[in-house]
Amino acid sequence: MKLSFNNKRISGILSVLPENEVRFLDEIDNYNFSEKQSIKLGKIMGYGTQRIVDSKTTVSDLCVFGMNYLFDNQLLDKKSIGAVVLCTQSPDYFLPATSNVISGRLALGEDVISMDINQGCAGFEVGLMQAFMLLNTGSIDKVVLLNADVLSQKVSINDRNSRPLVGDGATITIIENSKDDDDIEMFIKMDGTSALSLQIPAGGFKLPSTLETAALTKDDSGNFRSLDHLVMKGDAVFNFVQTKVPAMIQEMFDTLKIDKSYFDYYLFHQPNKFMLEKLAEKMKIPYEKMPNNISQKYGNGSGITVPLNVCENIGENALTNSYKVCFGGFGVGLTWSLIKWKLAKLEFCKIINY
Amino acid sequence: MKEELLDKIAELLEVDEITIQEELTSFEEWDSLTALSIIALVDSDYNKTLSNNQLKQFTSVGDLITFILK
Repeated sequence: MKLSFNNKRISGILSVLPENEVRFLDEIDNYNFSEKQSIKLGKIMGYGTQRIVDSKTTVSDLCVFGMNYLFDNQLLDKKSIGAVVLCTQSPDYFLPATSNVISGRLALGEDVISMDINQGCAGFEVGLMQAFMLLNTGSIDKVVLLNADVLSQKVSINDRNSRPLVGDGATITIIENSKDDDDIEMFIKMDGTSALSLQIPAGGFKLPSTLETAALTKDDSGNFRSLDHLVMKGDAVFNFVQTKVPAMIQEMFDTLKIDKSYFDYYLFHQPNKFMLEKLAEKMKIPYEKMPNNISQKYGNGSGITVPLNVCENIGENALTNSYKVCFGGFGVGLTWSLIKWKLAKLEFCKIINY
Repeated sequence: MKEELLDKIAELLEVDEITIQEELTSFEEWDSLTALSIIALVDSDYNKTLSNNQLKQFTSVGDLITFILK
């Protein structure tokens, strides 16, 4: 599916990361593997440090903290907000929507639309799509896109497949109508036949959490996790990314009649260093155009990795300069998406600690 | 072609050389990371998709080589 939008801009991005930092090397004893094996794995996959919330911190806490920072520093006018879109897979509750909880805690008023979207790795792109559609109504001039997850709570600390990858945090992206008529081109595909490649089996209505679903069991590779924990088929996800994303990039180049030199930056989701390196090699995109330091420094925070990538690697340069960028997300769903856009003269672009 | 592939697999298994008769699981370095590295090698250098389940069906180095070069 290809979607086109125009007359919109990103006016600011704020990343909110929990202060608590966990080191892969400190947790090696939690895994059922030799130290040598784990160190080798860590080097290849790029496991370094991760930001992890304490057990009481929720998605709404991170988002409210960041929004209040923007209000207090006069970076965002509360009265200008028309809608709040939250992309998360670790909501505070099954119901109500966590975005309603956030709007309430911030006293945004009754004329602000709040909605949750259940998307992860491509949550930034899907969230932008929703923001564009809300802006296209003509009644809304500014949308707040919140990407936030605290998935570390659902990953077993004895699972070397997922624990060293995961990161928590929130990003706040402000999207508004503008006179800039540059085309925004979005490519998006979904494969529901592989929906369970990445999942949390228990805890929903199909398989509610019980004492049995909480019991740790050992998998083929020697990892311990329960049905309440996140599980992924690493090989299937790897093959999916290496096959589908380069094909979509080629489709983008062919359709828009551009080539890989067009973009200043490829700001992609970062599952781990290994996977993104292989992707860059396959697409023959130089490493310097595809930053790959987020998962190693902060962990894979699902939908936050792309906006966090902007804050970390472009940062204040985005306040004065203009960049042609390709946003890319791929993973849970399975969902994959690319957006050709630009980043120009943002009003803020920074990272704060929670 | 075959020699080059044997070298690449030997490198991933951290041994100097391997023969097609050897069992994949007999190597000290055989683990989930090596499996992923082989999947990545097959994808990047041979443009083929190999799954963990397929890989588990292969007993010897020769089985793997036959699949890749088929």
